[in-house]
Amino acid sequence: MNASSVVTAAQRVAQWRSAALPWISLAALAALPFLLPSPNFVRLLFTTFLWVTASIAWNLLGGFAGQVSFGFAVFYGMGAYTTALLMNAGVHPIPAFMASAVTAALVSLIVGVPAFRLRGPYFAIATIGISEAVRVVMTNLRFTGGASGYRIVEHRPFRQLEHYYSALLLAAIAFAISALLVHAKFGLGLQAIRQDEDAAADLGVNPYTYKLAVHALAAALTGIAGGVFARYAAFIHPGGVFGFHTSVHILLMPVIGGIGTVWGPVLGGFVFGIVEEEIVASFPQVHLLIYGTLLILIILFEPGGILGGLGKLFRRFRGKR
Amino acid sequence: MENANVPILQVERITRYFGGLAAVKDVSFEVRKGQIFGFIGPNGAGKTTLFSMIAGALKPSSGRIRSWGRDITGVRPFKLIKLGIARTHQVVRPFREMTVLENVQVAAHFGKNAITSTAAARERAVKVLRSAGIDQLANYPASILSVGHQKRLEIARALATDPDLLLCDEICGGLTHSETLEMLQLLRRIRDHGTTVMYVEHDVKAITSVCDRIMVLNYGRKLAEGTPEHIQNDQAVIEAYLGTRATGKS
Repeated sequence: MNASSVVTAAQRVAQWRSAALPWISLAALAALPFLLPSPNFVRLLFTTFLWVTASIAWNLLGGFAGQVSFGFAVFYGMGAYTTALLMNAGVHPIPAFMASAVTAALVSLIVGVPAFRLRGPYFAIATIGISEAVRVVMTNLRFTGGASGYRIVEHRPFRQLEHYYSALLLAAIAFAISALLVHAKFGLGLQAIRQDEDAAADLGVNPYTYKLAVHALAAALTGIAGGVFARYAAFIHPGGVFGFHTSVHILLMPVIGGIGTVWGPVLGGFVFGIVEEEIVASFPQVHLLIYGTLLILIILFEPGGILGGLGKLFRRFRGKR
Repeated sequence: MENANVPILQVERITRYFGGLAAVKDVSFEVRKGQIFGFIGPNGAGKTTLFSMIAGALKPSSGRIRSWGRDITGVRPFKLIKLGIARTHQVVRPFREMTVLENVQVAAHFGKNAITSTAAARERAVKVLRSAGIDQLANYPASILSVGHQKRLEIARALATDPDLLLCDEICGGLTHSETLEMLQLLRRIRDHGTTVMYVEHDVKAITSVCDRIMVLNYGRKLAEGTPEHIQNDQAVIEAYLGTRATGKS
């Protein structure tokens, strides 16, 4: 028996299917603005792609490596402000987005180096503290306009589709990273850390550097998402991009979709992206309460999220036949 | 690095205090390449403490540990792997949400040779699973394995890191008689393939049947060391395990 014969025929079919699905989805999403050319619909999808990106990024750290962070607004906000400042200094958007990735990754190291000395719930608590501290600093920072926000002036004509495709491309890149990583050395190391950190270390995984690395990768993706958002919105303020609710949104999506899976965060991102505005518009005062309740319900009744629930239904349906 | 005169593992006057109590006190020994070196001792003799210090899980209060002459005292487990020293756990710790194959694949990826390619790591994992006799379980989740198979997985994972020295902690605990015999046979095969084994066990019979050299611990100190025959006839060892003979005077 050799390594390849371990893979059965059924697995090969599943592999083929999971290889085709992302390409079909990508093609469909790329064609969508031509089928439904409504600016409002295109805008909704644009923001959804950014949420999907952040959701996938959070899942790399929270889902694969098991390090729950309540501080992703830091990276989203840092990315948004980096792009905003650079674009106003005359930098082209693409290098500005790259700079957002670098800034967010560097900030992730500043957060991670002390915070990953803590394990389990203490890491999560530390991220809340750091995230709030950053928000307060940004609210009082003079050169970015403080609490009143910062305006971006782009001396190029506004083309909505350009924004749409940059967000779609970003989400596709994030998905590709997540899908390729999950069965590769890096991804297996992360999952080993989540399942038993000490046993992983006893097999040669360095948990500390691995956590720092995936944190930086997740931060970079989230930072670009923040940058793409800032360019589109043309106005950002600390209460928005650095707000605690942004961290909660980013964490909620992979939990809704199915934590620790490749498709879960994508699914969660789409569901959240599409209903979020509706919820905020209908319940402006209590929308965070709704999210909190939802979070508790999912953790209590279906920790696997939508994907876990669908899997159960599917097995039950097949079992009855 | 490898020199026939330098032991693969050399422990010098190692001591560990917990509070004021010395769990291990001034223990020294050497393990030569190609041996199965065992240590035994009654409950509380300091076996686990000594094992943990060698495996890098616990820092000694004093004393040094060397491998091929290189000081490895306090070197952390993920670095020991790169130096060719791997361990198993007394209570098995599989990655429960992974398949058996993936469990071993992690070890191949992060072991001494740090294989990056997924295909190469899988190939190595399959090879190791076969030599551990659990290749037929490769695609099952690790959580559904029986205790005997989980112990084999624990050994397979450590072997996949390609160690020169394998530290085995009570691998026969909780096994049936025939499972124990198979496990000891596996240890001999590992030694015959060139991996030196250090083996800690509670069960005297298991350890005397498989080890080339045995050390006996009692109350944290070294009581005796020698071949299995020597140990079995050592008066101090018999007393430690069986108590002193009644002299008749009551």
